[in-house]
Amino acid sequence: MTALDLRTLSVVTEAEPPELLPLDAGEQYRFSFAMDSCVGCHSCEVACAEQNGLPVEVAWRRVGEFEGGDHPNTRRFHMSMACNHCLDPACLTGCPTDAYIKLDNGVVAHKADECIGCQYCTWNCPYSVPAFQPDRRIVTKCDMCLPRLEEGLKPACVGACPTRALDVEKVNVAAWRRDHHEAEAPHLPPAGLTLSTTRIVLPTKVPVETVAASDFQLHPEDPHWPLVILTLLSQVALGVSLTASTGLHRVVAAGFASAALGVSLLHLGRPLHAWKAMRNLRRSWLSREAALLGAYAVVAAAAAVVAAPAIAVLAALLGLAGVFASGRLYVVPGRPSWNSPLTIAAFYLTGLATGPLLTGHPLLAAVAIAAQLAVWLANLVRLERDPRREWNGTVALYQHPFGWLSTLRMAAPVAGLAVTFGWSSPVAGFGLVVLGELIGRYLFYVTVVPLNIPGTFFPAPAQR
Amino acid sequence: MIDKLLRRLGRDHGGERYRYVSDERFGPVSESRAAERWVRTTCGYCSVGCGMLLGVRSGRAVAVKGDPDHPVNLGRLCPKGLSEHETLAAPGRLTEPRIAGRPASWDDALDHVADRFRALTDKHGPEAFAVLSTGQLVTEEFYALGKLVRLGMGVRHFDGNTTLCMSSAVSGYKLSFGSDGPPGAYDDFAQADVIFLVGANIADNHPLLVPRVMDNEQAAVIVVDPRVTKTAMLADLHLAVRPRSDVTLLNGIIKVLLDEALVDVSRVREVSDGFDELVSHVQAYDLDRVARECGVPAEDIRRAALALGNARSALVAWTMGVNHSVQGTETVTLLNTLCLLTGNLGRPGAAPMSITGQCNAMGTREAGFTASMPGYRAYDDAEARRDLAARLGVDEDRLPTERGRAYPDIINGIIDGRIKGLWIIATNPVVSFPNRELLEDALGRLDLLVVQDGFETPTTELADVVFPAAIWGEKDGTFTNSERRVSRVRKAVEPPGEARTDFDIVLSLAGRLGVRDELFPGWTGPADAFAEWRRVSAGQLCDYSGITYERIDAAGGVQWPCPAGAGADVPLGGTPRLYADWTFPTPSGRARLHCVSPRPLTDPPRERFPLLLNTGRTVEHWHTRTKTGRVPILDRLAPTGWVEIHPDDAADLRLHAGEWVRISSERGAIERIRVRLTRTVRPGEVFVPFHFDEQCANRLTLNEFDPISREPNYKQCAVRVDPLITSNRRS
Repeated sequence: MTALDLRTLSVVTEAEPPELLPLDAGEQYRFSFAMDSCVGCHSCEVACAEQNGLPVEVAWRRVGEFEGGDHPNTRRFHMSMACNHCLDPACLTGCPTDAYIKLDNGVVAHKADECIGCQYCTWNCPYSVPAFQPDRRIVTKCDMCLPRLEEGLKPACVGACPTRALDVEKVNVAAWRRDHHEAEAPHLPPAGLTLSTTRIVLPTKVPVETVAASDFQLHPEDPHWPLVILTLLSQVALGVSLTASTGLHRVVAAGFASAALGVSLLHLGRPLHAWKAMRNLRRSWLSREAALLGAYAVVAAAAAVVAAPAIAVLAALLGLAGVFASGRLYVVPGRPSWNSPLTIAAFYLTGLATGPLLTGHPLLAAVAIAAQLAVWLANLVRLERDPRREWNGTVALYQHPFGWLSTLRMAAPVAGLAVTFGWSSPVAGFGLVVLGELIGRYLFYVTVVPLNIPGTFFPAPAQR
Repeated sequence: MIDKLLRRLGRDHGGERYRYVSDERFGPVSESRAAERWVRTTCGYCSVGCGMLLGVRSGRAVAVKGDPDHPVNLGRLCPKGLSEHETLAAPGRLTEPRIAGRPASWDDALDHVADRFRALTDKHGPEAFAVLSTGQLVTEEFYALGKLVRLGMGVRHFDGNTTLCMSSAVSGYKLSFGSDGPPGAYDDFAQADVIFLVGANIADNHPLLVPRVMDNEQAAVIVVDPRVTKTAMLADLHLAVRPRSDVTLLNGIIKVLLDEALVDVSRVREVSDGFDELVSHVQAYDLDRVARECGVPAEDIRRAALALGNARSALVAWTMGVNHSVQGTETVTLLNTLCLLTGNLGRPGAAPMSITGQCNAMGTREAGFTASMPGYRAYDDAEARRDLAARLGVDEDRLPTERGRAYPDIINGIIDGRIKGLWIIATNPVVSFPNRELLEDALGRLDLLVVQDGFETPTTELADVVFPAAIWGEKDGTFTNSERRVSRVRKAVEPPGEARTDFDIVLSLAGRLGVRDELFPGWTGPADAFAEWRRVSAGQLCDYSGITYERIDAAGGVQWPCPAGAGADVPLGGTPRLYADWTFPTPSGRARLHCVSPRPLTDPPRERFPLLLNTGRTVEHWHTRTKTGRVPILDRLAPTGWVEIHPDDAADLRLHAGEWVRISSERGAIERIRVRLTRTVRPGEVFVPFHFDEQCANRLTLNEFDPISREPNYKQCAVRVDPLITSNRRS
């Protein structure tokens, strides 16, 4: 036998035929996942990280699990999911900079250059797919290995699946829009929210009651401190603008409104590019918030300088619109505890509970505080009544670990009123009420339980 | 400064670090994983033996791809394999020899060990020194190490960590067939019409065998396992037997086969001994008794027996559920008996198949000079001794006359003061040996502990002398997988610092002991060992004489026996199956059927320790996490140990999911471990994965061993679970 030197394979073997079928008109690529064939080996997850060189904190593909039945007839199911490349991608709709694009081949691609790291897409996606990548200070996500697709090759995850549970295939977009029930699976958000294109082949006889391995995990979410401050200050400003009767009031309102804008920059991964946030006025409430609160700050400043009632009225109107946009952007299906008109009401009430204390309308503030607490309780009742963990989990978080903060959230404004009326000290009262609203806003962010795909016993990286 | 500020403000987003480039062979890929060349090798984790291509750029390993041309895995890998290149740049490598914790030169470290070894054995005799090897080295290294230890050092007590996983399969094969050697091939998973998996959770432990089971759509898959494992969920029939009732189950199945006349009695009598005794022995195992003791419906047992009896070809495969038992060897003989009775041996799809643990456990079994002499030669076989001595060119008296102490008996020998020096190679007994407190006590008593490893481990911390070794990816040789397939392992990168290959260390120490020229004349590399091993194995069951490195490359791996010479009519890829002619390497040429009775648990649940502990593995990790714990993504996927508890038990104990608890047994305790509620365990039973040092299952396990194979009984012991804190349970 002659000595073969196969020590290294430097020669390319015959080019393999393209793995992907070309698309016909009206078609796009999508993932398919045969749950019965998946044994939860996580090879797809590792292959994805390797293919894309991802840091360990970022997972574009995740494998979760849920089980049902009882020993010895227990069944455990695994769910491997990356981006679902939806027909109505919520990430794209909400993105203030228009960083997302739905390509002709169906891929929902993310343009890193355009991303400012505002993370609004991470709230909008009901599958919690886009994730903030700390080292790049932007959001990143699965693009179905786009450069591979363009060469007719399937993504790394598909190639790595030992049991061929994963694949990429073509789908007729119009037909899928009509009937997308195959995108539904236990522990997944309803496919209709975004028209997920991933076709899931469910095993036969999935038990009616199943528990996801991650269900027990209830983690407080990121408080987003700059957003706590932004929303609070802009609402206080509005409360002052609406009830302002002196130049000083208007100066105070302008001060709060501008400070709010300044602080908002701290939220962004790439504040240098903050201006891009107003690019998607057509679709994104975040763009509208940025534009309206920006305009509000400018006009409020003008109103502070020029004593023209028309300008003050315009400022108040812009403030009203800005706070509406600000509240409206939280009303997203991916975040059930926020997804209610009560959120918008609470944002206005924060303004009315605080501002009027500085402008000499403590009674108005008192009424607003009562309404605010009622709105808060109404939301808790709404969430408590829903059996789903993303709803009642918020209530559980309010109880633990945030029980004492919840108490303080209620006590502070009451104390503020007592100080205002008892000791006739509205500024001190204002401080206490603002403290209550600050706590309330902090709790608003940390107690949200996002919709997500089922996870494992160990938390996914973004949730650590 | 300004630049830093601008970067902080997000001037750019670091996209260049994630840029794609095009790899000629594998297409577009992140530049960080782009290779200049691909080195063809074999995975260094488990015994499935997947072929892989290890990508190298600028002297660093940057990527791994499954070898699309390798017959074992056809290009696919498990998550450990897919990230294996990361082990080569992982933190915690040993980069210089150490003496008493201080860095030393190789010269000093080798001299020190040689001097201390001589002093110890001069004073206390050769009995006072023992060597514990591994299943992690290449066969060439095992062969060289065996020669050094047995012939050069004259050490009598030489064993390896394979005794912790495979020795019961070895002993069972020997008792039934006269020799070690798994008779089947992976192709049998595709050919069988019944696949009978006993105590084998291949979905977690040998993931690349799963596609073979799944792709065989015509096969009935029967799984015997107390837990509803991922593998059990793939089964058409799962027998969720009570722990250690496997002996009863197999006796019951044999009785059904006999009662239903599904045994070719005349053939069985023709090829084996012990049939009549077996027939009368199993009469006591009527179905009702078996069903009761196993906790499985009688009808299911009958269905399994009928499936096996009526199968055209049945593959009986097992792993640690069988081996990790005081009755491991006996249970293996029952599985062999089952195959003999049903005619499932030596044909496509039909074999009693032990799925091995480590990447090269097979290599050390064949060439390693531990449980048998090289080439499966028995220590007490006069003919084999003469033959081996002649081939090695040594006096027959130099060959040991018996195996010496097995692993647990070496530990006992240390405790009773007879063994005073120990050389540990590429294994981490502090985490992997049962009853950790006892083991740590033993290692603390040694006068000399030499540990040779690639990484810092809890065991190297206790060593007097540390030899830093090269690991997989840094050295050349061969691995042999569970189906006897010999594959190449290749060096892709240089070992770090002063680390040397185990081969070099063995030869260097031989030099210090003055035996190098005699035992390893003119040897410069593993190829020299392989050449001699081919000659030594010629004519044995594990015949490597026809296997060359070139042939391995041409075939993508070669299965032994593969005799050389013109008369040897062996396909390029070797011999897929053993015992095609049903003659066996026993003196009579006949197999042996053994009668086995179940033994009760020695540490059964009771009031103080009301739960029965089972241990095992998870797909993300390998053994004691020496490597996988250092691969960031694998560590992220399973960063800590856990205990699986049935929700009914948890409710009784008032435990919640995710809560931290303490588990204790008569022997020790895991102080902090998290509760995972699952109905895959039976009420009354709990499960802990054994990989984790911090949540070390072996603080709980029994130091009780199979009397024949000396394999530990890791699987069944009594424990209790106590909550750690009484308030703030939700975390």
